Amino acid sequence: MSALTKTTTIGLAAGFALVLQGSASAADAAPTHWNAASGPATIVAAATVEPFSATLAQAPAPAAPQPAPAPPAAPEAGAPESPPAARPPAVDETALRYFARQGDTRRLEAEIARLKALYPDWQPPENPLEIEDAGDPELDRVWELYSQGRYAEVRAAIAARQASEPGWQPPADLLDRLAVAEARVQLVNASNLQQWQAVIRVASATPSLLTCSEVDVLWRVARAFIETGRPDRGRDAYLYVLTQCSNDAERLATMQMATQRLPRAELDPLLATERTGSDGVGEFASIRADLARASLAEAADDAAATVAPADLDTVKRLADAEGRPSDNELLGWYALRRADYPEALARFERARAAEDSSTVSQGTALALIQLARFAEAESAMVPWREASDGARAVYLAAVANLLAAPGGATIDQAVLARAVDAAAKARDAATAQQIGWYAFSLNQFPTAAQWFATALAWKADDEPAAFGLALARQRLGDAGGLAALQREWSARSPRIAAIGREDGVGLAADAAGAGLAQAEAPRARQAAATETPARPRAVLRERAAAASPARAPRADRSAGASGRSCPEEIDPYTLSAQAALARGWCLLDLDRSLLAAAAFNSAVRRGAGAVRQDAAYGESLAYLRLGLVDRAALAAAASPQPAARRRELDVAVLTDRATSAYEAKRPVETLQALDERSRLAPERIDLLILRGFAYLDLRRYGDAEQVFSAVARTGNVEGARGLNAVRQATGRIRSNY
Amino acid sequence: MRAAAGAKRLLTAFGLAVFLASAAPAAAAPSVEPEAWDAWRASFLDASGRVVDTGNNGISHSEGQGYGLLLAVLAEDRETFERIWSFTRTELLLRDDGLAAWRWSPSEEPRVTDMNDASDGDILIAYALGRAGKAWDRPDLTQAGAAMAEAIGSHLLFTQEGRTLLRPAAAGYDRGDRPDGPVVNLSYWVFEAFPVLAELAPGHDWAGAEAGGRALLASVLAEGSLPPEWLSVARRPRPAEGFPAEFGYNALRVPLYLLRAAPGDEAERARLAALAAAMTDPDTGAVRLVDLASGATKERLTDPGYRILPAAVACAQGGTPLPDDLKRYASTLYYPSTLHLLTLAHLKEEHPGCLR
Repeated sequence: MSALTKTTTIGLAAGFALVLQGSASAADAAPTHWNAASGPATIVAAATVEPFSATLAQAPAPAAPQPAPAPPAAPEAGAPESPPAARPPAVDETALRYFARQGDTRRLEAEIARLKALYPDWQPPENPLEIEDAGDPELDRVWELYSQGRYAEVRAAIAARQASEPGWQPPADLLDRLAVAEARVQLVNASNLQQWQAVIRVASATPSLLTCSEVDVLWRVARAFIETGRPDRGRDAYLYVLTQCSNDAERLATMQMATQRLPRAELDPLLATERTGSDGVGEFASIRADLARASLAEAADDAAATVAPADLDTVKRLADAEGRPSDNELLGWYALRRADYPEALARFERARAAEDSSTVSQGTALALIQLARFAEAESAMVPWREASDGARAVYLAAVANLLAAPGGATIDQAVLARAVDAAAKARDAATAQQIGWYAFSLNQFPTAAQWFATALAWKADDEPAAFGLALARQRLGDAGGLAALQREWSARSPRIAAIGREDGVGLAADAAGAGLAQAEAPRARQAAATETPARPRAVLRERAAAASPARAPRADRSAGASGRSCPEEIDPYTLSAQAALARGWCLLDLDRSLLAAAAFNSAVRRGAGAVRQDAAYGESLAYLRLGLVDRAALAAAASPQPAARRRELDVAVLTDRATSAYEAKRPVETLQALDERSRLAPERIDLLILRGFAYLDLRRYGDAEQVFSAVARTGNVEGARGLNAVRQATGRIRSNY
Repeated sequence: MRAAAGAKRLLTAFGLAVFLASAAPAAAAPSVEPEAWDAWRASFLDASGRVVDTGNNGISHSEGQGYGLLLAVLAEDRETFERIWSFTRTELLLRDDGLAAWRWSPSEEPRVTDMNDASDGDILIAYALGRAGKAWDRPDLTQAGAAMAEAIGSHLLFTQEGRTLLRPAAAGYDRGDRPDGPVVNLSYWVFEAFPVLAELAPGHDWAGAEAGGRALLASVLAEGSLPPEWLSVARRPRPAEGFPAEFGYNALRVPLYLLRAAPGDEAERARLAALAAAMTDPDTGAVRLVDLASGATKERLTDPGYRILPAAVACAQGGTPLPDDLKRYASTLYYPSTLHLLTLAHLKEEHPGCLR
């Protein structure tokens, strides 16, 4: 009997009728009816609500609870002999007896629930088997047809008996149940065919169909409401199940369906109905976890999206407790999009330790790139570099950054071989160009020329590659080749045109810087996906570029710099000026700028003539690399420099001033430094970008647009991004980039 | 148009008279003979209330359900009506707009594979519901019929150059749907149903729709002795693109519908006689399916359910005796057998002499 008592409680729920009534009949005229309180209290009142609509109802909708509801159709024209007097003014329990005898527990429970909804005062019999047998075998056969779902035959049998036995009335209960059962078939069929209006029409006409014993029907009705643009009513249908019905599996399924069909905001009242199990775990714990993951996943693709702190905590807790790689990866992407690179890297590494994959490695590499750990980034992507276009792009970004990294660090032969291989396979002009600059920086001009030419073959309008090729030809003494290139490019590129001219020295010195700046292109390409406010990124890296004029002259003098150690580390002041100078260059090559500055300084103090001049130059370069612009300027002033070198240093100092001023949010000073610099050297594309953003900060939109348009025409993505920022600022578009 | 207007007035009056007569408590014997009805049910109706098209891979459709319901009314068989109606409601009345899905296949899932409707099926079902509701004093059936009639009026009637016409289905035949749209099918006008639909859903121009169909038929028959089935009415009526231009299985119902509806004026009776003659093979009495472009006979149909169609017209209008073998019903295939029973029922009601 435990089943019986259970259904009794279910039966207390009066059905979902009110919800439908509110939707279809009272309509919007009486919103209080159902918007104000969608709680159980209002729903219980449902049983007394009038049926939805008389015009279409073939089903005998249970109206007010009356002792003996009249059969909906008066089948005989002749007046019935007398009302079925034998029946007490009570509930027709024929079906109960029949189902109990058949052992049909499901239908028995459904019937009890239905009767309970119709007659709130009615108590189900202790033992349905003891209900008095009407002794009507013919009727029993009809019930049997009913329980087999052969409703058309039930209809036919009733009509046949009424024809053969004038005055016979079928039990009202049978007619009710039959109408409900047919409505159920019709509703399910309509729902399977996505005829949502029809679903709602049938449900509205058959309120007693909508009880906990027919949760599937409630789900279909909920979906019909959602599909017809009434998600609030759909939510109420789910809420009805969750507040009224107690089957665990059905409750969970209800919540799952709701999460698939309703926006997150609608789910909170549903989640609030959660029941806690004896183990202290909420029944919707898994759903809450999935929802938290979903919102995090969304935010991982969209830096502007905000995530509820509770969601973030949930996923972190799960990741820490269960250590699922997918959770850690999710947190990694989330952190990456929000520029929290150490956290991103930590999460990706945990995921990677548990289970490596292409995407986890991409995340790892992107975080490493942002942390300027390019060699590790490259190495992380090695196993996955062919896995997909995206993976290849990340790999090439790591390679490009590695090749362009400051400090002149020699790249491992195996790494280089992989990079060359990957560039060739992907026919990636950016990487080819980067290899060119790398070779150029090692004075391997024939190799550099080859790679620049390759980059041009893959991307004919690649001006930086052409520039690199021109410089390489100049260094190789290939005057004819240089002239040919200049004829081809001079109209498009003043800096190519300027090579070899009197004022072109500085430009040549700028060569490595151009290469470095260009390394931003592949990286920015990646970064576009990982960070929305990408503008400071290129600028920060510029600091490294600023120090690079040293490369060209250094290449002349530091043939031994490829050795990985410098003369022993001893107090620079005990060295000879010449030795201190050599050690300074060596240390600068190893990117140990502070020690280099000390060595140069020692050489300046004790040296004279050319040595002192060179040492002052070196010292200022070291300070430039450290970002100490003023000290760099001071150092440069310690000894008069040749005009060309003087200009190089000035250009570098001004570049750094512009960058620093911009980072300090001083756009006016930025523009001053840039203007001053532009009198000494043509403005590089990355500085043009800086100029654009400075204009933007000063709200000089016209100037900003002009600059970014010029940048965009070179194919640099920052140009488009800047233009977009201008448009956003001027309100021409609303979307986020 | 003058003739059409006259026909409309006359027919509306006659139609109502017929409807009222049939609505009166049936004192006489049913117009479908119990023996024939039993045979039809045994052959084409399953226990679930599904009318099976035995000539068409055993599928079912709204037309068959509608015919079944109508025959059950004519046979005064409530039991069978309940059975067919239960199936029709739960398996076909599933569309959002309240019309019936037209096709149901026992071997496919879902059973309804095409959600479109067919207006002849819709009309037959609504008509049968209206008649049953009235005959048996069943408000629930009347209400169901009224709802369908309302849906038919709202979704299937349209006006074209001043005429009210009937779409073959809610979707697929309009001006926007095909280059030669709108396209109609003359055999979808179940003329006898229109006065009943007018009672069920008075807000629509049913008399106009009936007259529109009759006028269209008249204009087509002015050009040739047999009507095509699918007509483009975008301009001057002509056979629709993509359908064979023929007098075919659909169209051979047209004389039955005209006969059952009500007698028209002299001109219409003459047209009906001419049509019956034109569709009959003079040597064998078979019904000819005709390629309208060449006039060639494509098929000769000898099933009694087909042969009785022109023969009934000839008997009812011209007194030509009905061949004896057509007077008795025996099941063959769903479609001709159904037409056979409907024809016999009409003769029994209106021209009992033809059956003696």
